[in-house]
Amino acid sequence: MEDQVCPRCRTTKYRNPSLKLMVNVCGHSLCESCVDLLFLKGSGSCPECNVPLRRSNFRVQLFEDPVVEKEVDIRKRVLKDYNKKEEDFTTLEEFNDYLEEIEEIIFNLTNGINTIETNKRIDQYKKENRDTIMKNKMKVGRTEIELEELLEIEKQMDEVRKMDQLREEVETKRKKMKIKEAMIDELMFSQGDAKDIVNTFQSNLEEEMKEQEKIPDRTTQFSTGIKFGKGSSEFAPYFKIEEGPLFTYTPPEFVYEGPDPPKWNHLRPYLMHVRQTTIDETAGGFDAAIGCLRALQEACAGLYFKNT
Amino acid sequence: MFPTSSQRKHWMFKNEDELQTLRVQANQNYIESYQDRLGPSAQPTLNAEDEKTLLKYYEHTMMRDLCKKFQPPMPKAVIGTAFNYFKRFYLNNSVMDYHPKEILVTCVYLACKVEEFNVSITQFVSNIKGDQKKAADIIINNELLLMQQLNYHLTVHNPFRPIEGFLVDIKVRSRLANAEKLRSGIDELIEKLYLTDACLLYSPSQIALAAILHSASKNQENLDSYVTQTLLGGDPTRLTDLIEAVRKIRIMSKPSDVFQPNRDLIKALEKKLDACRNEENNPDSQIYKERMNELLEDPDERPSARKFAKARRSMGGDKMTGVSAIDPNLSP
Repeated sequence: MEDQVCPRCRTTKYRNPSLKLMVNVCGHSLCESCVDLLFLKGSGSCPECNVPLRRSNFRVQLFEDPVVEKEVDIRKRVLKDYNKKEEDFTTLEEFNDYLEEIEEIIFNLTNGINTIETNKRIDQYKKENRDTIMKNKMKVGRTEIELEELLEIEKQMDEVRKMDQLREEVETKRKKMKIKEAMIDELMFSQGDAKDIVNTFQSNLEEEMKEQEKIPDRTTQFSTGIKFGKGSSEFAPYFKIEEGPLFTYTPPEFVYEGPDPPKWNHLRPYLMHVRQTTIDETAGGFDAAIGCLRALQEACAGLYFKNT
Repeated sequence: MFPTSSQRKHWMFKNEDELQTLRVQANQNYIESYQDRLGPSAQPTLNAEDEKTLLKYYEHTMMRDLCKKFQPPMPKAVIGTAFNYFKRFYLNNSVMDYHPKEILVTCVYLACKVEEFNVSITQFVSNIKGDQKKAADIIINNELLLMQQLNYHLTVHNPFRPIEGFLVDIKVRSRLANAEKLRSGIDELIEKLYLTDACLLYSPSQIALAAILHSASKNQENLDSYVTQTLLGGDPTRLTDLIEAVRKIRIMSKPSDVFQPNRDLIKALEKKLDACRNEENNPDSQIYKERMNELLEDPDERPSARKFAKARRSMGGDKMTGVSAIDPNLSP
């Protein structure tokens, strides 16, 4: 780190502690002020390799070796298209060959070997596998969302834990104070031997500490925040269906409190006098007989009603 | 079905005397609490008979007009249900406690909902003269109260479907030539019965049969053999009861033929009512406004009070959770 130096203006970290090296896709670093200066218009070419660059693509250099940065960039770009998974291949060997190919492409691009040819290869691959690429992109999106959720949960848990800790600390502090006060009171007013009193308090305190240690929080998750036994998140949650006794149909019993209305099978003459169902209504499952029977039933229901 | 309904179980009464007792009781209850509250400054109150006259007037003029002129036109079942709610409500409540003008619109609004006649509140209040926003507020504030007073027995069995059933049956099983011509006579009687207590005393099918027989006799038709032989299968024990019920229903409808509200009397009663009504339920009063404001502010500004109410509720201390927000002093 000590010789972090901008290749253009030769400023070092020593001379300018706020020096920030930036890197672009070509893998050559520049300090922040040089980037500001050279890419005033938003785009320009790299002072070392003359590759046209855009200012928005500059980012802070994370690794000491800018070549690593370049490789990371290239890897990101290549993997966007080469996003097949092991499931997409029939044999492990094919998958391994595929991984090998990816590495080769990345190596070639990073080190500038056969760049044009390799780019051609990528283009061809893209053309051939457009469908799978699209499909896998969707999948990747989903796994990323899940991952983010996990991270979010972890963050929350962390906060809760921190709060718990804080509270506990305050609690123990208060307790200690109390005990101390109690001890001093005891020392002031009791007639016993001071040594004995101090000793009993000491032992009481130790016992309490031990007790507290005995009940640590039951951990329910790994340090990464993934819950024990949650299993792979790729499966939908599985609910166990509890099966009760089978349903047996008993026809409802009507209390008419009146004369018996006609039955289903005697409705034919009545249906002559009600509006026939239209095609639309039949499609909805409606039948003129239903309404007709209901009217007849309601006419009979409660006819003998007499409130006593 | 009516025989197993809450209407049959809880809202059918033996005779007019029973209804009268309930109304007098409601009237007495209010007067007592009113005089307790105000002491010597209490105004003269209405008696049960005054209340009855007022209710009849409101049913006859305001409620019927509202239903008839309602746009879009409402199905008959809505009207029947609304009248039923209105009558049920004032069995146990005094006119002085809740003003009928407010309750009747709420009844119609609730009936629209229950009978699946879809109108929004804005559409609904556009049928009401006067301040529509205030009307909407009143309706919505009273809706829960009304439902509670109805004991959440919202399904009402109206005589309209039985009428259809009887007409179809008459077409099939009687010699009557043209059953459709009975309709105007039927509607006429049913309209009159809206203003009576028939729906609290007789089953919907009895009312329907009474209307049909009334219309038949008006049209000089005879359905006696249909009723005795076909419908009842010649069972004489059932016949006497049914004929008695039909006769009484038809008698009930008679007085409303001549119901002419006495304008001066009504005016005097309304004036008296304005003086002695429960100010806590009067949306124009200061007390009411204050309480409403308090309720509105409650959730945001006094979270502790809300927490307390919640705790009380979870302990089962507060029986009427839904309505307590409207009127904490309400007696069930």
